[in-house]
Amino acid sequence: MTAHLDLNDVSVSFNGFKAINGLNMRVRKGELRCLIGPNGAGKTTALDIICGKVKPSGGTVTFAGTALQDLEEYEIARAGVGRKFQVPSVFRELTVGENLEVARARRTSVVGNLRWDVRNAGGAHVERLAELVGLTEQLDRPAAYLSHGQTQWLEIGMLVAQDAELILMDEPTAGMTAQETRKTAELFARLKGRHTLIVVEHDMGFVKAIGDVISVMHMGQMLAEGTAAEVEAHPEVRRAYLGSGGISHA
Amino acid sequence: MDQFIEQIITGLSIGSILLLVALGLSIIYGSMGIINLAHGEFVMLGAYAAWVFHTYLGLGLLASLVPIFLVVAAFGWVIERFVLSLLNNRPLDTILATWGVGIMLQQAVRLMVGSELRYVQLPPALSGSMELFGLSVSSYRMFLFIVSLALFAATWLLMNRTTVGMKLRAIIQDRSVAASFGVNAKRVYALTFAYGAGLAGLAGALVSPLKSVSPDMGTGYVVDAFMVVVLGGVQSLAGTVASAFILGELSGGIAFLQNDTVAKAIVLLAIVVLIRFRPEGLFTARVRA
Amino acid sequence: MSLNGSTSNGLQRLTAQLAPLLIVCALVFALPVLLNNDFLLNKVARYLVLGILTISLGLSWGFGGILNLGQAMSFGLGSYAMAMALKLKTIPVHTGASGLPDFMVWNNVQALPWFWVPFRSLPFAIAAGMIVPALVAAALGWFMFRGRVTGVYVSIITLATMVVINLVIIDQQSYTGGFNGITDLAQLEIFGVAFDAYGRATYYLVAGCMMLSLLVAFAFTKSRAGLIVQAIRDHESRVRYFGYDVALYQIFVFALSAAIAGLAGMLYTVVMEFASPTFLGVQLSLSVVVWCAVGGRQSLVGSFLGAVLVAGMQGALSESAAFLETWTLVMGALFVLVVLFLPKGLAGLAQVVWRWIVQRRQAAGGVAQGVGQTEGST
Repeated sequence: MTAHLDLNDVSVSFNGFKAINGLNMRVRKGELRCLIGPNGAGKTTALDIICGKVKPSGGTVTFAGTALQDLEEYEIARAGVGRKFQVPSVFRELTVGENLEVARARRTSVVGNLRWDVRNAGGAHVERLAELVGLTEQLDRPAAYLSHGQTQWLEIGMLVAQDAELILMDEPTAGMTAQETRKTAELFARLKGRHTLIVVEHDMGFVKAIGDVISVMHMGQMLAEGTAAEVEAHPEVRRAYLGSGGISHA
Repeated sequence: MDQFIEQIITGLSIGSILLLVALGLSIIYGSMGIINLAHGEFVMLGAYAAWVFHTYLGLGLLASLVPIFLVVAAFGWVIERFVLSLLNNRPLDTILATWGVGIMLQQAVRLMVGSELRYVQLPPALSGSMELFGLSVSSYRMFLFIVSLALFAATWLLMNRTTVGMKLRAIIQDRSVAASFGVNAKRVYALTFAYGAGLAGLAGALVSPLKSVSPDMGTGYVVDAFMVVVLGGVQSLAGTVASAFILGELSGGIAFLQNDTVAKAIVLLAIVVLIRFRPEGLFTARVRA
Repeated sequence: MSLNGSTSNGLQRLTAQLAPLLIVCALVFALPVLLNNDFLLNKVARYLVLGILTISLGLSWGFGGILNLGQAMSFGLGSYAMAMALKLKTIPVHTGASGLPDFMVWNNVQALPWFWVPFRSLPFAIAAGMIVPALVAAALGWFMFRGRVTGVYVSIITLATMVVINLVIIDQQSYTGGFNGITDLAQLEIFGVAFDAYGRATYYLVAGCMMLSLLVAFAFTKSRAGLIVQAIRDHESRVRYFGYDVALYQIFVFALSAAIAGLAGMLYTVVMEFASPTFLGVQLSLSVVVWCAVGGRQSLVGSFLGAVLVAGMQGALSESAAFLETWTLVMGALFVLVVLFLPKGLAGLAQVVWRWIVQRRQAAGGVAQGVGQTEGST
């Protein structure tokens, strides 16, 4: 089994505090991996390291044969890594359509982008994407006017537009209604296979609905890996979650 | 050797004026994140207040210091309340707004008292000079040095040993959390800004006998003071003191070796490089990697 | 409206956005027909030049989020490039055969400094008037944006850099004319057309350059690169995670803005008939920010009109000193009010009013509700 993404003995510390301490994780191509763990376990930091927001102090991150740990964020993105942030991060003054257009980063150089899209070749594509995430009506509205759930959807749509090989999702369903969450699960099931996904989530129902393999982090390290049933039965996982009401309430 | 000591003393003198002006700016920038471009105009107001108190009320400079502080602080309070408090979370716009306010203050003074130069008398008790290391030093410059350090000490105590200071530090850390514990952020901000403005007013009054007083005198001060703050680090009062004297010595020294223009240019370039490579200032620890 | 044929929709929207721009250009070109006064025409040309300068700031500030407080640096460099070339054209007349500008003779300079030599060629000077500011800006941009300097710190660095260059120009009197600047210039002559500062040719030259700047800036903001630059303004770090090298885009818009400012500077020398250190002074640089904010920084036409209106009004009132002083006070107040209540300036206000009218009309006509009004920002 060759891993599509391979985190090997990765560490990072903030002011002497080891947020990640010797983390190992391997994800296969086309897999949908859920990453769970109690608060402060280092899940978001792990995503930060993969996408280059945080530079690891030790260890290697390899994606499709490329070492990522020393690259700039934009280089990592060009290598095929996309990221959705916990706090939905969209371009508030741009319209929904423009947001999707920016995300559709086929060409990234300045000179290459000094062109007009008068025939609106991207338009059809953008409209399809907007339909996918249910924002057709909002296509011409600035993103600042969207509700929280819609903003989440927009960012997910932007990641689909980006068409990255590896997609990192940080709490994609936070602030969504049950119905919206179900739609998100359906979408993820469709993305699986064509893309490799890592999803950080607290909602165990959602995790069980979408995930094949679940990775549990605790105190900056990998605690357990396996199916939902295996993980829930794991004694150390139970201990880690003790006091926070068990795994399904985390 | 004498020349060297003289140079050091000149530097200290420049540094104490810088510190006087920068202290208020540092408080405002460090705690509210506002780059107050009207700061120079607060200095100017303080200088004019000294002139007015002297010319129309016959009050000496030392006697009018407290009323000057209060008057300029009141200006600051009004400006915070009616302009800056409307600009939460728009840091770039606060620069523009304070600059506009500065223009208005400058122009209002020009319209009311004219743009001719005004002079404020040295307090008679301090008009002489004293011996220091075998050199004669103006008593008033000595006085400024001591006052600047005293004001720094007072400010430090205010920030670190009083409830208002504690509330302010709480707001700096996290405004919404502080608010949920019942800290009235609006009121504390207004008071902070007023205090910073008052300090600027004092600075203006104190330097007024050394330089002529004019409506546009503040412009130069705000630039210098800002450099002090940037060099010292945004949230470090002690850094402000250190950098005020470093800059004082540096500009004294460079001006001695080179001409004034080159000295200015070199200091500006140094600031540019500093901002690029250490925006948090020289005297603060990096918080997060 | 958002679902039907995308091609015609996109073109339609583009035309709607281009309309105000073309109307303004038409008015500018028609003005000499109505205004038969060379002195006034020269004044208007001056405001148009300041308008071009403000467009350039709107590009970097309104669209790129880069508040360049040293925008006048590029303007001044352009104006000096033109002044140097025009000064060298006067040489036999003013200083005899020695081949030196008069102020160099007064300062005992023996030979023409090397950096003056190429300015004997007018085409070189015109190219340099845009390329030099663009290169300086690109270098400064590289220095800042590679180090991820943002927001307020960009403003400080740009302002400080401009002041340094200003100080150097004043200090190096023998090579730059120092405090007095470069005066007593020849007339600009291109292809046999002489551009007298008070002539119509100059006015049309300025108007043509203004239209060109407006169109180039507009084309840029409507390109994909322009869109990405706006995305960077909104959320800089987010753009990186889509694979764009943010610093390169910032450097590009910064340099493009500088080139347009340089063009404005060259025209200013032609219109004013001299170059002076005040052209790259703090005063002018901050005034440009005011004009841009008042007109509306996210609108190119708005920025332009802001400069023309405010500078024009100031010019009209400058005949009486007392009036001018009051005006400065009013200006300061107006500026503070705009910052507080109209972050998008007069253009933003116009947009709101326009949308309101359209909605009223739609409501009156009984047409279905106004879904998704387009942002008509040009």
